[in-house]
Amino acid sequence: MENRIIDIIIKEILLFYKIIKFLIPSIPITIQITLYSFLLAVILGLIIALFRISYVKIFQIISKIYVDVLRGIPLLVQIFFIYFGLGKILKLEQFTAGVIAISICYSAYISEIFRAGILAIPKGQYDASKSLGMNKYQTMRYVILPQAIRIIIPPISNEFIACLKDSSLVSIIGMRELTRAGREFYSQYFVDFEIWFIVGMFYLIMTAIAAKFARYIEKKLEIP
Amino acid sequence: MISIEHIYKYYNNLCVLKDITFTVNKAEVVVLIGPSGSGKTTLLRCINGLVIPQKGNIIIDGNLLTKKTVNNLRKKIGMVFQEFNLFPHLTVLENIILAQVVVKKVNKKIAKQISIDMLTKVGLKEKLDSYPNQLSGGQKQRVAIARALALAPEVMLFDEPTSALDPEMTNEVLGVMKTLVKEGMTMVVASHEMDFVREVSSKIIFLENGEIIEEGSPKEIFSFPVHRRTKEFLCNYIKK
Repeated sequence: MENRIIDIIIKEILLFYKIIKFLIPSIPITIQITLYSFLLAVILGLIIALFRISYVKIFQIISKIYVDVLRGIPLLVQIFFIYFGLGKILKLEQFTAGVIAISICYSAYISEIFRAGILAIPKGQYDASKSLGMNKYQTMRYVILPQAIRIIIPPISNEFIACLKDSSLVSIIGMRELTRAGREFYSQYFVDFEIWFIVGMFYLIMTAIAAKFARYIEKKLEIP
Repeated sequence: MISIEHIYKYYNNLCVLKDITFTVNKAEVVVLIGPSGSGKTTLLRCINGLVIPQKGNIIIDGNLLTKKTVNNLRKKIGMVFQEFNLFPHLTVLENIILAQVVVKKVNKKIAKQISIDMLTKVGLKEKLDSYPNQLSGGQKQRVAIARALALAPEVMLFDEPTSALDPEMTNEVLGVMKTLVKEGMTMVVASHEMDFVREVSSKIIFLENGEIIEEGSPKEIFSFPVHRRTKEFLCNYIKK
């Protein structure tokens, strides 16, 4: 009886080891997709947010439509559209198509966060900057954005974590990231409990590290 | 130095400044008094181009203030606000250095030296590494004054600089302002501190509902006010 239990435990440990070894190479791909997508999303999001608060009517309209459209369509559908639809015409690789789809979708959310952060800065800060002779760019660059950044770090890190998890959606177009690797392992060995448990753990570890890092940055930027 | 010619400012249909005309000569201290909502703040903001009037001209040093010239003319004008408006994410020293380096392109080392000089002048040299939130209201306002002075303005505008402060802090800020008056700084001040006004002003303008009701020397306004409203307004302050 005891021998049988030990046997099962050893078998399980070996299986876990095998799964982890199988999954590890796919982790850098998940990280790459997430980092590239998110970096692009932040840059795009900032531009869209600045469009939205600018005084030029046409920029405001473009930005409003952009946000409303992209927020209203499921990311999965956007991935299909960009990879199978546009990708055919533009000859996009899976990786590029995935990154583009995620970054465009997330830029819509992130632009709203930026906008809220910028609008939260009191009007007096603009008055003071103007009265000191700063132009609009200088005011944004040195006064408004540095303060807005501090406000938006918590919601932005939320988006980052969501983005990391949503990177699993590009498995559907054949990108061999963590989730896809999990499915491949499953279809070879037919162990479902263990494989999805470990895939889940890997995501949990990555999101926990990201959250920890966000809190570190938040602390570091805190104004005394 | 500054001449204001027939300016009108409307917000929607509300007229907040009506046919305002006056001049500020070099080394003069012009004080705007009047009840809240009389247009003092709007008038000061017009001089700095933060508000553009619908009608009338503002001429600074012979230059007409327009959207195009505003950024250049602002370099000659320092402004201090009721709510201080320091940059909370920068230290006291960085607050003062920023515009010098960014706007006037002063060398960072020189800017730092100027900033320290200005902080010494307002008596806050030891606070240079503090952040605004670590200062009292009076200290914040003195830093704000130092920040404006660091750009070497020819005119200083003060928009009720002590209204958000308790009496003790009020005196430290007024003290700094008196020093500036002695140095011959040209100033336009909105204030309710009547003792201070009486002491430093060369001209007092009484505003109500966006109109100049009466103007004159401190002696004329305080001792022999002509208009009924001026008398009533000053009575309230002298009772206090």
